[in-house]
Amino acid sequence: MHSRNRLTLSGGIRYVILVAYLVVVVFPLIWVFYTSAKNTQQIYNQPFALPEIITHPSAKSLEILQTNYHRAWSDNHFGLYFLNSIKVVSISLFGILLLGSMAAYVLARFEFRGRNFIYYLFLSGLLIPMQLILIPLFFQYSSMSEFLTRAFAPLARLLGKGELTVSLHDSHEGLILIYIAASLPFTVFTLTAFLRTLPSEMREAAQIDGASEYKIFFSVMMPLAKPGLVTVAIFNFLGLWNEYLFGLVFLNSNSLKTLPLGLASIGMQAQYKSDYGLLFAGLVIVMIPTLAVYSFLQEKLTRGITVGAIKG
Amino acid sequence: MARVLLKDLTKTFNKVQAVKGINLEIRDQEFMVLVGPSGCGKTTALRMIAGLEESSSGEISIDERVVNDVSPKDRDIAMVFQNYALYPHMTVYDNMSFGLKLKREPSGKPWPMNAKRTYTKEEIDRRVQQAAEILGLKPLLQRKPKELSGGQRQRVALGRAIVRHPKVFLMDEPLSNLDAKLRVQTRAELIKLHRRLGITTVYVTHDQVEAMTMGDRIAVMSNGLIQQVDKPLTLYNHPTNLFVATFIGSPSMNVFTVTLSESDGAVYADAGAFKVALKAEQARMIR
Repeated sequence: MHSRNRLTLSGGIRYVILVAYLVVVVFPLIWVFYTSAKNTQQIYNQPFALPEIITHPSAKSLEILQTNYHRAWSDNHFGLYFLNSIKVVSISLFGILLLGSMAAYVLARFEFRGRNFIYYLFLSGLLIPMQLILIPLFFQYSSMSEFLTRAFAPLARLLGKGELTVSLHDSHEGLILIYIAASLPFTVFTLTAFLRTLPSEMREAAQIDGASEYKIFFSVMMPLAKPGLVTVAIFNFLGLWNEYLFGLVFLNSNSLKTLPLGLASIGMQAQYKSDYGLLFAGLVIVMIPTLAVYSFLQEKLTRGITVGAIKG
Repeated sequence: MARVLLKDLTKTFNKVQAVKGINLEIRDQEFMVLVGPSGCGKTTALRMIAGLEESSSGEISIDERVVNDVSPKDRDIAMVFQNYALYPHMTVYDNMSFGLKLKREPSGKPWPMNAKRTYTKEEIDRRVQQAAEILGLKPLLQRKPKELSGGQRQRVALGRAIVRHPKVFLMDEPLSNLDAKLRVQTRAELIKLHRRLGITTVYVTHDQVEAMTMGDRIAVMSNGLIQQVDKPLTLYNHPTNLFVATFIGSPSMNVFTVTLSESDGAVYADAGAFKVALKAEQARMIR
């Protein structure tokens, strides 16, 4: 009886702590969601109060909500930014996962001279702060663009395209290249460690079955590496979806901007106009894909796929 | 139908010699067991036959063809791994047909159509069904490995090997992950399977009971060398050296240190506690 009481007590304390933590983490999220249904006046008057659409549902309160989202999505081009973000992040992710997993597979499974050197070269990428390479990279992109323009000039003339200017500045392609390169160290590091844990007999069995290295990689190793790939995909998605600095420096045209840049431009306008309803609607638009991706992939993450592969 | 021949085969890992020059003839349709304590080089030898490990020197031939520089897939072998190494994301059917689907041969057309599938879908299906029939896997074909018991997984691994109709089976301790009862049962099934298919088999084990009951002939290995190759009973009755004598048999053979003495034309072995007269033939050999 005594020990049972103590158990409940410690259990109770645990719950109190967990609930407090839940409130600290989840409340701001919920607050953002419901505040996006209020207008600036209401936000100023009662910052934490529930919006009218919940307390006194009416056509007028619905209109506030609609106005906020409509102004964010259409007037402030969030629809366009959204597509830009999807494009940049999904192509980057595809490149990161493809290149990262291939590099990691070779580093994890093959013995060759210089393997450790290449591995540590990737790792050293983790040590470099991205802010540090921002300016050199900017100038490097300028000279690379010039070089590429000159290199492709004969081909452009041959095809009758006249003057062709290649520019990595102010283009999604340039930004994607940076995103891929910047994400590879983490990706390779994580996946190498993960791939080393997979049984090597699987590769040998496939070799005897007559699979080429590419076939082994895509048909045998990649399905096995799914939990590792999902982990890496989630982390990279979160990082890239919210990435602001490189987007700000390398994208100038309004039509190319990604969501974080769009959000920041509302924030900057808000200095003069203070349209908080609009800002919160924008925030919700930025957050929803993150929540969706996380809840969708997280379930796959926890499922171990090597179960049953080998006796264990 | 194939003979496997190993000539002066060695393997060195970072200065450690795992296999120190072995010569072995595995006759056509023979069930050859490589047995020895852990680290004796038996698995390394098997992996060299499979082509998963490159030999440091020496020659391996399968069916009178030297295969040292032939890749595993072209050696016409099939291997069963100790931990089965099934593809966990594929069904039993796909596990068994994976190798058949991949097999290509030259089609005579220009690149990239220069290779065509060796087996048609129907042929693959026929072979998988046949193997499933033999191994009693028919009801399990659509399951994934994780939904199978250890014994069933083991049979899928065997099935994956036999659908290929290889010249040689290589088995690396395939029974060591099964419980005692299933092991004895599967042992009998493996022998039956071998009789039925008549495929040359190289079987690696550290369990001398397995070796004695399954092998047509047994190669006893120790320290990277073959100590003796013989039929099970010959090995048991006439071991060539002390290692084989003590390794084979359970309980193992008793060994005494004796002093030899000769008197009245007979040779005596004196162990201290007892003294026996050697037979005339043994005495002649010692003299």
